[in-house]
Amino acid sequence: MEELLKTNRRDFLRTGGIAAAALALNLNAFEAEAAGGVTKLTILHTNDVHSRVEPFPIDGSKYEGLGGTARRSALIKRIRSEEKNVLLFDAGDIFQGTPYFNKFGGELEIKLMTAMGYDAVTMGNHDFDNGMEGFYKQLPHANFPILCSNYDFSNTILNKSILPYKVFKKDGLKIGVFGVGIELHGLVEGKNYGDTVYLDPVAKANEIADVLKNDFKCDLVICLSHLGYKYNTDKVSDQILAKNNKSIDLIIGGHTHTFMDQPEDVQNLSGAITTINQVGFAGINLGRVDYYFERYKGKKLKMASPYLISNKLEA
Amino acid sequence: MDHIKSFRNYLALSVALLVASCSSGYKLVKTNRAEYNVNKELAVDSSIIKTYLPYKVQLEAEMNKVIGHSAAQMSKKSSDTLPESLLSNFFSDAVLEQALKYDQNIDFALPSTKGGLRVDFPKGNVTVSNVFELMPFENQLMIFTLKGTDVKQILDFIASTNGQPVARLQMKIVDKKPVDVLVNGKPFEVNKTYRVLTSDYIGGGGDNVPAFKNATDTKVIGLKVRDALMNYVKEAEAAGKTINPKLDGRITKN
Repeated sequence: MEELLKTNRRDFLRTGGIAAAALALNLNAFEAEAAGGVTKLTILHTNDVHSRVEPFPIDGSKYEGLGGTARRSALIKRIRSEEKNVLLFDAGDIFQGTPYFNKFGGELEIKLMTAMGYDAVTMGNHDFDNGMEGFYKQLPHANFPILCSNYDFSNTILNKSILPYKVFKKDGLKIGVFGVGIELHGLVEGKNYGDTVYLDPVAKANEIADVLKNDFKCDLVICLSHLGYKYNTDKVSDQILAKNNKSIDLIIGGHTHTFMDQPEDVQNLSGAITTINQVGFAGINLGRVDYYFERYKGKKLKMASPYLISNKLEA
Repeated sequence: MDHIKSFRNYLALSVALLVASCSSGYKLVKTNRAEYNVNKELAVDSSIIKTYLPYKVQLEAEMNKVIGHSAAQMSKKSSDTLPESLLSNFFSDAVLEQALKYDQNIDFALPSTKGGLRVDFPKGNVTVSNVFELMPFENQLMIFTLKGTDVKQILDFIASTNGQPVARLQMKIVDKKPVDVLVNGKPFEVNKTYRVLTSDYIGGGGDNVPAFKNATDTKVIGLKVRDALMNYVKEAEAAGKTINPKLDGRITKN
């Protein structure tokens, strides 16, 4: 916690005047909440679950005994019983990693995600491991949309199965969600992605996020990303996307199996914050981000206004 | 009020620009984040267990199926400590043999490091589970086209780590350096280009194996390391053969 505060203090100093304005607004926000004018939205997320249906076996390995869909489901149910507005997402690589996938082709993974009530997922490179036909075959078991905006599937079997984005409505709030995937060439065997065309994820993400924020007037824009958190090279990553967009509030990341100590808040091109979060892999952790929205009845706000960030849930 | 106190603890980081476009009537005022560790402290949802149980039963039956026979116990400990072992020779020869069915132009193979061979391989019955335990990872086989200078770095790595699982490669290790290196039976030439079979994991810099990142070309052949092993065991069985790896002096040390 001490370290956390230090980090925050540094950011606090960096943002200077903005922070001062934020403190002034704190009280307003609090009053609104007390008066019942605040709507709370809870985002839950996983990534790179890799067919980890059961917890890791107890065999002395690093993650022994962790994860497991039965526990995750119970946890999600508990949170749903406590919170009114919950959305559950996954950032891809659902498939591959245990014999469940090799034997049943992902059918069980998708059925379990449907049972847990996932609201949307994006595609990871391993979701192509049985080819596009292999993925397509499991879609009847999915009661949630697959979102990906930067793979052009026009000339493939997935043509009508993948959506670029979806707008969710919760308690008057509009939440725009879209997906971006990693370059498949060199990562996935050619015949498994066939005629899928990979499009620049930063350009596509900006195009979609701007539409969601400006045209659909979404209150929150979430990107489900399988690009990877960061690289030592200039390879496109969540960090690069976060710095180079205008309208994304939250990137739920995957691919690099990164266990982040805390979400990373990046200043984006519009001066606002794009938050990146990723929770390791294999369902070892479940991520949670709560957002609080204040209702402005008819009032039009023109001034820049800050929001408050804490890495602790409200008691 | 506790509420207010905790509120003062928040540190503001950001500005959400509210422009005319954000006229939904809502403004983001704060965010709180947390992470749950999914461990044994948590309750389980029995309806989920009920969903996966029939799959689990079927899977376990499958995993215990005998797919081949082996003449010798192949020890991970020998593979970890000796320049060459039954386990490392079995592993690399099996993988190379299967990979050659996908691409015949392979100069030599380093399909895994010693660390990647996870457990002993048994004498007698070989089950699907034995192969999964030996190779639990989902690595894909790839062919890297490398300049001789980069291959030299890999040879140095093999020698400095007291040998690794290899096929179509022969060397003597003298003072932790590779000597008298033969690639597919011919002396290694630093000016030549070589096509090297390895896994996507090793090729991506896993286990600190050097030089693969300098490849002039890479090819995913479409065969997983484990599937190569599995196919090898099944084919031997179908041909009525017992798996019987030998030490052939491909890596020696004096």
